[in-house]
Amino acid sequence: MKQILLITDGGSNVGESPVVAAAQAYAEGIVVNVAGVVDDGAIGEQGATEIAEIARAGGGMSRIVTSRQLSGTVQMMTRKTVAATVQQAVNHELRQLFGVESVAELPPAKRAEVVRVMEDIGETAELRVALLVDASASMRSKLPSVEEAIRDLALSLKAREGESMVAVFHFPGDATDEPCVMDSDWTHGTDRLRMLTGKLKMRGTTPTGPALLHVLEFFRETCGNIMIEPVQTPSPIKRDDSVEVRSDYVV
Amino acid sequence: MTTSSESRLPPGTVLRGKWNGKSYTLRRLLGVGSNGQVYLAASGRSICAVKIGQDPAELQAEANVLASLDKRERGRSPFLLDVDDAVAGERVLPFYAMQYVPGMPVKTYIRRYGEEWVGVIGYRLLKRLSELHAAGWVFGDLKSDNILVGQYGRVSLVDYGGTTAMGRGVRQFTELYDRGFWSAGSRTAEPSYDWFAVAMLWIHVLDGKRLVQLSRTLLPQNRHPRELMTLVRTNRLLKPLESWLERALAGGFRDTEEACEAWRLLQQPQQRQAGNKSGVPGWMAGLFAVSLLLFVSVTAYWLLR
Repeated sequence: MKQILLITDGGSNVGESPVVAAAQAYAEGIVVNVAGVVDDGAIGEQGATEIAEIARAGGGMSRIVTSRQLSGTVQMMTRKTVAATVQQAVNHELRQLFGVESVAELPPAKRAEVVRVMEDIGETAELRVALLVDASASMRSKLPSVEEAIRDLALSLKAREGESMVAVFHFPGDATDEPCVMDSDWTHGTDRLRMLTGKLKMRGTTPTGPALLHVLEFFRETCGNIMIEPVQTPSPIKRDDSVEVRSDYVV
Repeated sequence: MTTSSESRLPPGTVLRGKWNGKSYTLRRLLGVGSNGQVYLAASGRSICAVKIGQDPAELQAEANVLASLDKRERGRSPFLLDVDDAVAGERVLPFYAMQYVPGMPVKTYIRRYGEEWVGVIGYRLLKRLSELHAAGWVFGDLKSDNILVGQYGRVSLVDYGGTTAMGRGVRQFTELYDRGFWSAGSRTAEPSYDWFAVAMLWIHVLDGKRLVQLSRTLLPQNRHPRELMTLVRTNRLLKPLESWLERALAGGFRDTEEACEAWRLLQQPQQRQAGNKSGVPGWMAGLFAVSLLLFVSVTAYWLLR
């Protein structure tokens, strides 16, 4: 299972549309979640809309939170996305096998069995989460909380039974033509997790779209094209369903 | 997070299960859990608690934990009574019914009845946890709100949303009680995860203000059990528990039974120490008064009959 988690505080202003980039990621089997961090209560309507749109296009969920809530939110989103991905795959199987649309249509006794299997899959499946952090000037004061949230997420993922890896990126990069920089390659647990060290160059641009595409490219290079979930060639009906499954989670 | 904004159902709402056909009349909201609302409800003549959620899979996962506990611990009345869906207008509300547990959170109980109850409550809590661990589960989200204390310090665990099979990643936890947050270990479900939370429970109950203050002011890299122990040593009520708390924070028990036994041993001398100077503790005087009254009234009854 593959996820990108974007942590940002507002709208993008350079390069490709982040919404299109997220849609492309989702098409390739990577779910995009977005955490909007706002401390002074001003994210602007445009920023808020974009955050929600990126998540919707990326098949994930979005939340706008304060730095204090970030850690918990990041973990909740990761966990729910895993559950939703499994649920989607299982719903697909159920449709094939029993002709029911989802777990919810099964009688409770059968549902109990299916949910048990779903939990096993969710706990043991291989999981890769790439964190993409907006490090533009306005984010400066929030970066300590972001680092803490990342470390905390890595700690939680380490406790899973299945193999879990985390990678960390931030944007914009140091040079003008560099949309984003990798801080930490895929790593297990917290020991070798390198963070967005203090040497960040705070520039004014926010190339969210190009940065997303960069991370997508990184996924292609490091994870190959092998789809872990068997449900990535959706029929039109399925796509509707997946939107419905996730809509609960989108603010 | 999605559920807290969910509208409450008014008292008197009737849920009719579409699979098993039982109906439940909601009486009042008991609490809002992490993934649903819990109501006190009546079904026929019996009273139960009904948890209503949004995600049937998530709710079912919780019901599965309860069902598995019921299976493992046969000699008691079951926790899980029913799992079903109710249809309310256009929406389907998945819910499950469980045993209703009256009581109040530990923090409230201690505030109302005094610190002398710490010993009994702590002992009963560890005994309950040791049963749970023996059945292969870790409670996970242990905190004051999830431990209800009834009459005479009887303890029940509620909200099994964090309960995790041994060896897996803890499904749900509360920052302040989480050993990962205090850089004291992993989030793997193992008995020591719960011991840590028990230690945090007592620090929270007996010195909540300073604990919350500490958790807010410490930099993440400085969060460490030794900071907690500094707090413990400088609190009159926590000091007597020091040796136990230190072991619990470090995961230093063989198993939960040993943790339980260590707690019991801790209580004996302390009670003697804490005894009133007069030699007659208040509760004993009260008991004496009650028995005297009883004696007088029974005598009066026999004489006047």
